[in-house]
Amino acid sequence: MALLGGYSAGSFPDYEVQGAKKVHFSPYADNGGSVMAIAGEDYAIIAADSRLSTGFSIFTREQQKLFPLSNTTVLGCSGCWCDTLTLTRILQARMQMYKHEHHKELTTPATAQMLSTMLYYKRFFPYYISNILAGLDENGKGCVYSYDPIGHCERSNFRAGGSAGALLQPLLDNQIGYQNQEGVDKTPLPQDRALAILKDVFISAAERDIYTGDGIFINIITKDGIKADKFDLRKD
Amino acid sequence: MESQPGLRLAGKTWTIGACGQNTSVPVLCMFLTRSEYDRGVNTFSPEGRLLQLEYANQAIKLGCTAIGISTSEGVVLAVEKRVTSPLMEPTTIEKIVEIDKHIGCASSGFMADSRTLIDRARVECQNHWFIYNEKMTVESAAQAVSNLAIQFGDSDDDGSAMSRPFGVAILFAGIDEHGPQLFHMDPSGTFVQFDAMAIGSGSEGAQQSLQEVYHKSMTLKEAITSVLTILKQVMEEKLSDTNIEVMTMTPGKMFYMFTKEELQEVIKDIA
Repeated sequence: MALLGGYSAGSFPDYEVQGAKKVHFSPYADNGGSVMAIAGEDYAIIAADSRLSTGFSIFTREQQKLFPLSNTTVLGCSGCWCDTLTLTRILQARMQMYKHEHHKELTTPATAQMLSTMLYYKRFFPYYISNILAGLDENGKGCVYSYDPIGHCERSNFRAGGSAGALLQPLLDNQIGYQNQEGVDKTPLPQDRALAILKDVFISAAERDIYTGDGIFINIITKDGIKADKFDLRKD
Repeated sequence: MESQPGLRLAGKTWTIGACGQNTSVPVLCMFLTRSEYDRGVNTFSPEGRLLQLEYANQAIKLGCTAIGISTSEGVVLAVEKRVTSPLMEPTTIEKIVEIDKHIGCASSGFMADSRTLIDRARVECQNHWFIYNEKMTVESAAQAVSNLAIQFGDSDDDGSAMSRPFGVAILFAGIDEHGPQLFHMDPSGTFVQFDAMAIGSGSEGAQQSLQEVYHKSMTLKEAITSVLTILKQVMEEKLSDTNIEVMTMTPGKMFYMFTKEELQEVIKDIA
């Protein structure tokens, strides 16, 4: 009894006791940025803004976020930049391995599936990246694949992702998907019109999203290869 | 250290100096004799041969004959089945199997060994589909199986080691973006594409006949007839719907095994 020191069992002493300590570990950074891609009959266009930022600071105004993986496939990444660097390096290595093992280039749809499985394999510690993959399918038709961070993959004809993704997508739905429009003829989208929409849409995003701006890098994918282009956005 | 008298089989005790003290060790085997180059699967004979591999090839020469022909319309595989007893259920001898919808294979030699290789081929095909959402090419499938076959020389510490090479040869028949193809793989893991190939006990005679009969513009029907005619020549027994298996790989039906009725029909055609 003497050992218990006067207070009853189950109660705590008067002085302060150290409780459980919560240690913060934040493995992710949000470096912003937006990516957009449009697929046409015989082409695909993909673009990403060139601003790399964290909060109110800008790391660089000329960061390339498009990664050509083959002659017909380009990946656009935005989100956590360090995850992007790792993912794209692994992807490039996997593309090279495939080429050596199977004596052929990985097609865009096959790359799309491989990216999906690669993302899902990190289901419980995902790459914090908004990925959009653009290219030509085995019939030479343009294709765009979009992903969530854990590998859900969807093929579509136009998609916007990244920090201004939610801002851009409805505009694309209206301008390219002709949604909420009446009496419009749904002709296939010509390449110059797609490029014009893409630039307009990024200009709009730069107006409202502080993580998107400075400029955009554009890749136009056709059977003749990948053509690179640049376009300036507001820098504030 | 005390020497162990029970181990003095060589009748001679060698003294090896270690760390300044003399230790007597009885040596069991002092020199490898020539006839012992066939013991290890990792040792070349002085003539530059791996004898265990050559013995594996001999094992295949005891196996049932399997013949394949690749044409522009598709590939045909045919094998003989040795039904050794009238009490045996012939349908349980499976020498032609499906690896994926677009790849089939025929094996000759130790059938139990072939199961392991076929299982690997099936797993690799499905894995390829899972990762890339596309069909594995016939060559890649052969490569995948060959990667397993070559592991006979691996040592124990990297998992489980094999004690010997696989005693089977395999004919892969498949269709991919390069069209219909036939590949042959042997116990060493070497694989080569062929227009027409035979394996098993009757392979030498069959290969000779195939060279005479094969031409580039062969139709699938001609190929089936040729394959059965040659099989008939090299088989001891009369062809029947129970002692052969025939498979075709065509763009339409993909992997297709002939039914008893279809077998009877093709046998009747060559009679």
